This record gives sequence, C-alpha cells and structure tokens, in this order.
Amino acid sequence: MPTLTIDNQPVTVAEGTTIIQAAERLGLVIPHFCYHEALGAAGSCRLCAVRIEKGPLKGIQMACMIPAQDGMVVTTLDPEAVEFRAHVAEWAMTDHPHDCPVCDEGGECQLQEMTIAAGHGTRRFRGLKRTYPNQDLGPFIVQEMNRCIQCYRCVRTYRDYCGGTDYGTFGSRNRVAYGRVTAGRLASPFSGNIIDLCPTGVLTDKTFRFKCRSWDLQEAPSVCPHCSLGCNTLPGARYRELLRVKARVNRAVNGFFICDRGRFGHGYQNHPQRLREPHVDGESVSWNDALAAVHERISQTTEHHGHGTVAFLGSRRATLEANLLLGQWAAATGCTRTVYECHPEFDRIARTVAARLGDQRRSPGDIQRSDFILLIGAEPLAEAPVLALAIRQAKRNGARIVILDPRPPQLPCAFEHLPLTPEQLQLALEQLATKKFKGWTRDESTTLRNLGKDLTAAQNPVIIGAGALLGAAGIERLFDLVDASSPAARPCGVLVPLAGPNSYAAGLLSNGGPDFDDLLDAILNGMVKTLVCLETDPFEDYPQHGRAQSALAQLESLIVLDALPTQTTRHADIVLPTTVPVESDGCYINHEGRLQAFAKVLDPGLSVAVTGGGDHPPRIFEQSAPGNLPRPAWAILAEILKLPTETAALRQQLARTDNRFAALTQIHRAAEGEIVTAIGIPPRPQDDDGAVESSVPGSLQLWPIDTFGGADIFSTYSVHLDPLRDEPYILLADEDAKQRGLTDGAGAVLTSELGHLKVRVRCTATIPAGIAFLPHLLRGATAGFVPGGGALSCTLKSVEGEA
Amino acid sequence: MSPRMSEYPQVLFKNRVPGETVLIDGYRTTGGYTALEKAFKELDPATIRDQVKRANLRGRGGAGFPTGIKWSFFPADQPGEKYLVCNCDEMEPGTYKDRELLKADPHQLIEGVIIAAFALQTPVAYIFIRYAFEDCAANLDRAVAEAAAAGYLGKNILGSGFDCEIHVHRSAGRYILGEETALLNGLEGKRPNPRSKPPFPAVRGLFGQPTTVNNVETLANVPHIINHGAEWFKGLARTLEGAGTKLFGLSGHLERTACFELPVGILLREVVEEVGGGVRGGRTFKACLPGGASTPYLTAAQLDTPLDFEPLEAVGSRFGTAGVTVFDDTTCMVAATLNLIRFFARESCGWCTPCRDGLPVVAWLLDKIEAGKATFDDIDMLKDQFRNISGRSFCALAEGAMGPVAGLLNHFEQELADHVIKGRCPLKKK
Repeated sequence: MPTLTIDNQPVTVAEGTTIIQAAERLGLVIPHFCYHEALGAAGSCRLCAVRIEKGPLKGIQMACMIPAQDGMVVTTLDPEAVEFRAHVAEWAMTDHPHDCPVCDEGGECQLQEMTIAAGHGTRRFRGLKRTYPNQDLGPFIVQEMNRCIQCYRCVRTYRDYCGGTDYGTFGSRNRVAYGRVTAGRLASPFSGNIIDLCPTGVLTDKTFRFKCRSWDLQEAPSVCPHCSLGCNTLPGARYRELLRVKARVNRAVNGFFICDRGRFGHGYQNHPQRLREPHVDGESVSWNDALAAVHERISQTTEHHGHGTVAFLGSRRATLEANLLLGQWAAATGCTRTVYECHPEFDRIARTVAARLGDQRRSPGDIQRSDFILLIGAEPLAEAPVLALAIRQAKRNGARIVILDPRPPQLPCAFEHLPLTPEQLQLALEQLATKKFKGWTRDESTTLRNLGKDLTAAQNPVIIGAGALLGAAGIERLFDLVDASSPAARPCGVLVPLAGPNSYAAGLLSNGGPDFDDLLDAILNGMVKTLVCLETDPFEDYPQHGRAQSALAQLESLIVLDALPTQTTRHADIVLPTTVPVESDGCYINHEGRLQAFAKVLDPGLSVAVTGGGDHPPRIFEQSAPGNLPRPAWAILAEILKLPTETAALRQQLARTDNRFAALTQIHRAAEGEIVTAIGIPPRPQDDDGAVESSVPGSLQLWPIDTFGGADIFSTYSVHLDPLRDEPYILLADEDAKQRGLTDGAGAVLTSELGHLKVRVRCTATIPAGIAFLPHLLRGATAGFVPGGGALSCTLKSVEGEA
Repeated sequence: MSPRMSEYPQVLFKNRVPGETVLIDGYRTTGGYTALEKAFKELDPATIRDQVKRANLRGRGGAGFPTGIKWSFFPADQPGEKYLVCNCDEMEPGTYKDRELLKADPHQLIEGVIIAAFALQTPVAYIFIRYAFEDCAANLDRAVAEAAAAGYLGKNILGSGFDCEIHVHRSAGRYILGEETALLNGLEGKRPNPRSKPPFPAVRGLFGQPTTVNNVETLANVPHIINHGAEWFKGLARTLEGAGTKLFGLSGHLERTACFELPVGILLREVVEEVGGGVRGGRTFKACLPGGASTPYLTAAQLDTPLDFEPLEAVGSRFGTAGVTVFDDTTCMVAATLNLIRFFARESCGWCTPCRDGLPVVAWLLDKIEAGKATFDDIDMLKDQFRNISGRSFCALAEGAMGPVAGLLNHFEQELADHVIKGRCPLKKK
C-alpha cells in the first residue's frame, strides 16, 4: 500500500494504482481524454501530464501511465506541466470545428470541460482544418468525425471491451479516423456504449438527436427494466417524453456499460398505445368511479361466492412495493391464492433461486474476476446481455469459458463449445455432480470428466444456466451441481438470469404458495371468480395459451393494472392505467437478490410532441398535462389499502410489515443496492422431469427461445429496437435442413400444435440433429411460442418459389 | 570511389562490387560462415554474448544502445518461445546503408542473425523489411535458401542441437515501423502504433514473448567480432570509446554522394572534404545533418567533430544512422527544416497528440515563416512548440522530428528573424 504526496496532500492507495487514480481519491481531477477507469490508460492524449518531484521516474510524466510508489511526490501545478497541458488541449483543438451550439454533446462534453481545465483559450493555429466525410453507422449512432480528437476511446470500448470487430481505426497522422470498412449498422449488441465513452460529439445517440439540450433534461437514477440483471441507467426526459437512456455506474452490476436493448429500448414510455385512462367495461371513467367499481366487484364476488373467490396475480415487472401491497390486499380479502408469476416454470425457477442462491450468488462484477465459467443452457446475449460483457472481461483476465448448449453460442469472446441436446444438458448437469458418466460416447465422457475435474480445480468458478432450455428441473439440477462443486474452502458461484427485472422478488414473495397452474385449476373449478392482475399478461406469458384463455374466460371479473395494452387488458372488465418504471419511484430485486431503487424521471402524460400539434413550444396551456392519469401501481394499491401514497412513508410501512425488506427505508441511498439475504421457500417437488415427449417420425423438437431483440413488453413497444428484431426464422442443423430439401435463407412452413407459420430457414453445422429453435417475438408472428414451456413437436416443409 | 578509400579498413563492404550481389560461394571465399562454424563448434551462447558486450558494439539503427547490454536483458537461458527480430525498415531520410549492405552482401546479415539467434537461444528469427526493398528481400530469400542448403539453418545446425529458422517478412513500410515496438505490432498484423514501455520487448515482445530487435548493420557486425575478437573491433574506431566501422550514407550538396564504410570517430571535415569530395561546385559548407533527418544540424564551426556517439552529443547533436546530408550556402534552413517536418508530420502514426497534431502546427508555422508572412510572435510560438513537443510524446518520433528544429533555433535564429524582417525568404532571389 504505497503512500504518496500529490500537491502536498498525502494519500495511501492500493498497489498498482496509477497517479491519476490516486489524485482522484484526493478529489483532484487531472485533465484527461484517453484515460477511462474501465478502459485503463493508453497514454495517447498526453493531457494528464504532471511533474514527479520524487520517485523512480522524475520530471514531466503522464499521470495515467505511472503506478503510484511509496514516497513519490507529485505536483499537478508545476508551470511546465501546466504549459504542456494547455498545449495538448490546443493541439487537440486545432482541427475541432467549434460547432458546440449545434452539437448534441454540448453541456456534457468532456472536451469542453478538459479544454477549460487545461487552460487553453485562444487557438493560434490559423491554417486549414482537416475535415472528414462521415459514415452512416446505422439507426442508433450518428458520427461527426470532424469533432474527433483521436483519443481512441471508441475503438478501445468497441473492440477491446465489448468484443466488436466491425469498427476500428483507419488512416494515420492527423487523418486518423474511426469507423467501419463500409457504412452500415454496428453489429455489436453493445455499440451504444461508444456514445457514452466518446468524450465529445463524434458519436451521439441518433434516437436522441436534436431533441433536447442536455441541460434541459429531467434525469434521475434508474434501473433498466428489460432483463433481470438490473443494470443502472440514467434516463433523460423532456416535455413528457423519455428521450434517451445512458449507462450509470454501478461497479458491482454493470460497471460503466449497458446493452443496446437497454439504451435504445425507451420508446415504450411514449408509445401511442399507452393506457392513459381507467376503463370499466370498455367505458372510460374517472379514477374515483374506477376504484369504486373495483371495490364493488370485489365485494360482490366475496358476498356471492364467499371468501377466497378473489385471486391476485403479481408480476416479474411490477415494483417490489406494488407486489408487496398486492399481497396485503389479497390477505385483506381472505385470498389464499396469490401468485406472483404466471409462467409456472419460471415461477419454480425464481423460487428455487430465491431459496438456494445464498453466498454463491455472483454479480456481473464478480464474474469478471472468475477464472472458470461454465455456461449450461444459457444464452447471455438474449437473457442478460451485459452478462456476456462480464464474461468477456473474465476471458480477457485469463478465465476459461466452456459452453454446453445446443445453440451456436454468440458470446463476444473465445470459448470452448460442446453442442449437447437439451436432454443431454440435463444428463450432464446430473452426472457432473455425481462424477459418474454414463450414456455418452467415449470422447464426450472424457470431455465431461475433465470438465468436472477442472471445475473442482478452479479457484473461482461460476456456473451459469437459464430456464428457457433447462426448465425448472434443470435449474434445480444446476444448484445440485453447484453444491457438489463447492468444497467448504471455496464455494462455486452460480448465476441464473431470471425472466424479468423483479422475478427474484416474485420468487421470494410466493412463500411456498400455489402457482398459476393451481390458480387456473381453481378458476376452472369455479373456486375463483375474480382475478386482479398486476402488470402481468397471463394470456401471453402462460405457455399454453388455450388453457389460459378458456380458464380466464370463466371469470366474472378480470381487473387489470397495466401501462401498456396486452391480451389481458383487452379481456379485462376494469383497466387501471399504471405508470412505466421511469414515471415513478420503485424497487426491483435483480437475479442475485440485489434490491435496487429507481427514482421518478418524469410525470406521465402525452408528450408535447403529440399535444403541441407541431408547435414548439406548445401554444395550449392547461392546468394539468393531457394523458397524465396513469398512476404508479403501488400508489393505486396503497390508496385502496388506505396506506400512505408517498414513497418514503410507504417504504417505512412496508419495511415494518415485512422485515425481509428492512433495507427499503434506506435503499434510495445505497449506491450499489442492497443484497436481500432472506431465504425463500423452494418449490414443491415435481414429478415432471422436463423430458420431451416422444414425437412423430420426421418431426423436429422445437424450442422457442428469446433473442437479443428482446421479448419483454418494454422492448416490444420500443420502436427504435425494430432493426434488431428478426423476422421469424427457424434455426436448425444442416443435415435436418438438407433432409427436407431446405437451404440457408429459404422460406419454409412450420407446422405444430399451434398451427402453421411461415419462417425463414437458418442452418448451421453445430446444432445437434433433430432440434430446432424459433425466436419468441411477443407482439409478432411467433407470439404463441413462449420459451420455458419445454419443446414442441413440429414439421417443416419448404415453400415453393420462396427460396 | 574516393582516392583515399584504401586508407579505411573495409569490413562490411569488403566483398562489395558495385552492381553485384555476393552469393554464398563468394562470401565463403573471403571467410564467410567461419564465424558461424566457430560459434557453433567452439563457443557457447554466453561467451558470444560476452564477446559482443566487450566489443562495445552499439546499435546501428539510430539510437546507439549497446548491443551487448541489450542482449544481457534477454532471458536467453529460460525455456519457452522467444524471438529475434531484425529491423530492416530503413526509412530515415538520408539513410540508405542497410539497403546498400543487403544489395552487396546479404549473407553477412544471415550469418549475423544465426549467430545472434544462437547466442540468444531464439529458434525463430524474423527479418522485417520494407516492401520498397524488394531487390534486397529477394537477395535475403535466396541467401536464406542457400544457407539452409549449406546446413547453416534448419534443424540441429552443425550438430549443435540448435534449431533456427529465418522468415523474411515484407512490411507495408512506414517510418514508424522503425520504432521497435511499432514494428512488433506490425509484424503481428496489428496497427503499427508503438507500445508502452515497460514492459520492454525483452520481457514481452513479439506475440507477447521475449524478443530482441536489432538493426541490419548491427547484426552484420557480429560475425566479424566473433572472427576477429572484441579488441580488434574496438581498434577499428578512431576514438578511444568508439568501436568498429560505420556505414555512412552521404547525400546533399557534396561532389560524391554514396554509401561508404568509414571508421567510427572519423572527423566530419574528413567525411565532407575527402570522402565526399567537398561541397558541390566549390560552394561553402553551411550545415549538415550528421545522422539522418532526426539529428540536429551541425554548422561549419563543428566540422572538426569526430563522428561518434559521445562527441556528437557534446555538440548538441546525435550520431543517429550516420546518414550525412550536407547543405551549401544557398540553402534556406527554414525551407530545409519545413521539408523535414512535413515528412515527420506525414509519418506520424497518429497515436499521441503532440506528434499527430503538434507537428502539423510546426509545419504550418515554418511554412508561414518561409513565405514571409510571419511575425516575431510566430517565432516565439515555434519555440514554445519545440519546448512542449520535445520529450513529451509517446515514442521517439516527435522527439526526432524536433532534432532539426533544435538545430534551426540554436544555429539559425538570425536567418529566422531575417524572414520576418524582410517579409520574404532572404535566400531566394527577388
């Protein structure tokens, strides 16, 4: 732990800390462009020059390049260093166009800040500036190369950190340029991070372009609602419209980065189909009338059919507060059938995780420090994209990555891949735990046996698996394997991405209660007559659509709280419009049990772009904003329960009522969130071992899967993500395609119990024969194919003339 | 050929016949590959390294770092992948010695590389050569094939148990590739940006493995040191501290501009007046670059400086690559410097700000001064650019680019002022 002196202030830092980081500890910001905590030092911009008075290297040195040493004396105010820094800023600015008034970066430009900090004022160079043509980088990112100061941060982010390959450095001398070989959309699912990392306005958010000056934005710390990782974000809004999302730093979760789904998937907030008014029996009504109707329906049901005939369905995407209040409301009506997840398989997985995770939980931040990562039936890019980024960092730190999965893996780093069928994955999970290998070829069993040994030998191993292929039984086996690989001295880590941003809470809250299958049975048996759905869509999310539909049709009343239209809101008798996450305070518990709060960014309301009729600023002035009726689900429930509708008071009350969530009272102050250590109740044992039913000859085993384009409701209502969404395709083995006379790119008709579907064929050599994959598109043609419900049997025929 | 060339001992150029290339048989008749046989049969690697160290051979690529000391940092005795790389990316303006050497006698380099590879215990060696030297690369390809056929390359060389292979790599060729870490990136197929040091190539070099990078002329000297000994080698120089001969590339306003092998420590006056035949057309000597474009100018007052590392540093310049470019009294030193700075600005790899964006500012200033449109503020600005670029860039490129600017500011300040006062270049006729 060296102690050094910077500008007469002593500071003790960890071994390997650089001078610039040590200065930061003292609150001294040494001007810099190319250095970034996540990217490390490059030494290229030369702006962070300081004088080392005492130490092994004396004189003017770059603070980002020199590790702190004991007894070192550094001054940042040395006249030579000050003069040099001003020169560096002047050089960097020689060709800069000074177009700040029309630049989207204006107001949050590191180049502006560091130029001022470096003391450069007037440019003396009066020669011709070099100029560049710009490149079209696709629908997400605008490039303005003339603003570039060549700090190399974008290529270091895109290539080194994110593992992208289609963006790089071109040219030399003062004509260095960054871009693609040919214009086109950046292929990396993490491309948007170059916007955050670019210190100036070269790379800006195209979806945000010319919408707002950064200082006019309403911003508040938030948590991404698109998957269960809970990446920290900083959404920005103006004129009642969410305009952009940036990454917010949380070193334990997402570091400095988020994925493109989280960044550009913000259109849901202002979607024209947002539910904006309470409805009773299809009629728009006031809040008072709607809540009176809710009260009336529930008391009628209880009076006519007795206590317990009203059931409540919570949600993986509703806040913890709302889910807790739903439970309180259910208890008040005498309900014994409160379910928090309408997909029974994902429900079991969430319960298993909440019951068994314990000290073996791993965050993406922990994953980066792992030396052995075993992925079984997981596709991080689809299920938890930033996890793929963490795995890449582990690889860069020397970790070994092994993937057991039938799909061709898409990780942005090198890995070893063993393509096993979903049944073989179950077998592998079981036998890696027991160390007895049966039912494999000689090569396979050698590979698995060695894998088992390496897993035991690793210092810091992590096993990652997800539910879409493994199912609940598979996740239980995965935990058995984790336990079997955890000698007392060194626990084996585990990470299971869950179905939604608050799935962990749903698993914890279920408390060993019934699941949605039980609830559907109760409805079919006439024991439940009214169902209250909190921000959930059982019509779409329950894997067997037919069964859900016939059961839910028997309800006397269906009461739904939601922000966006779903099949469930369409069937509802009463719809109560709720806010989306950026429009209210709330908390989610992520996949590892980390409770994180997000704050309200903006009030709900129709955006001025809509109500202004094209005028800017709008000429219509009213007391309240049009379309401002949606309310936070927790506020609606709190009002029904006559509890405080103010966040802090409500959280106090909730924390008192359920001490598992005592952290709620302080959670808005916890920079990295708080781990909820309460242990959930595991699901009841199940007979079904997840085996796939034997199928007709000539048929394929069809597995619906999620893809990066996203199948969560917020993604599907975000129009900016359309370019990332595929048209329906089927992914199968080369030999299966050949047998059916199909080639890559050909059109085909897929027939299953869900009917016929036109798909495009994609084939690859790595998939085991007999298996096929279909992407789940929530609002698209494949909406009926819900992942996590096991495999379907299907046949595939070529479409004449569409090849 | 200078009438007095017989007075200068010829070591590297002893087989040189203008317009011809010496093949393996011709090379052997004058003692070629005897050093290799001696090294493999009589000496062990440590002895070879020691002999090179005692010979005080200094790197001939421009920096002049003692080769023996460089080799002593190399983990020769540790097992594992290791590399020797020969830098033949000769692109310093005024420097063409390696090309002349490889045109005349390529086996000297091959023998030097094999002995060095044995001394450093690197089974793989790369010769990194500019695409523009295709004739030399072809000579090297042939020499490698001949050496392999003769049993000097390949498996178990001369029964020593040591294996060695040489790859001749034709590079795309930019000035920055002469910087050893940029060269290693280029050889790996990456952008040739220099790497940060530490770690030095001896620790983490090519493909992340220990690597030594040596210049062509440096390695070509090794067989002669093995053959004749360290004392003989030191005795070749005319200065006490110097050692060996040096290939001098003469260019500019001289009567004779060619590449000559001359003793280290020869006086600049002797090079200009005797070897170079005096300044062209009987004009007056105004200045010269003593060691390539990145070395500060010397003036007539310094003609009696011995051309060796320490004496040239004592007069504020550097020995560099010994590419001597002479300017006569009709030369405008501002224009000459502008020409050089334009070269360096064009050859910047674009990695660090002082070089990438600073050198074009210096070129803009010199252009303005030369055009007679400058004020004294511009000369002050030239001084502050010089002060802030020197020693502040990521690698030595910009540092080298400041060499001629240093010479201009030190020796020709009046000429700079005259450009401002007269509002035009004082050396151009109206």
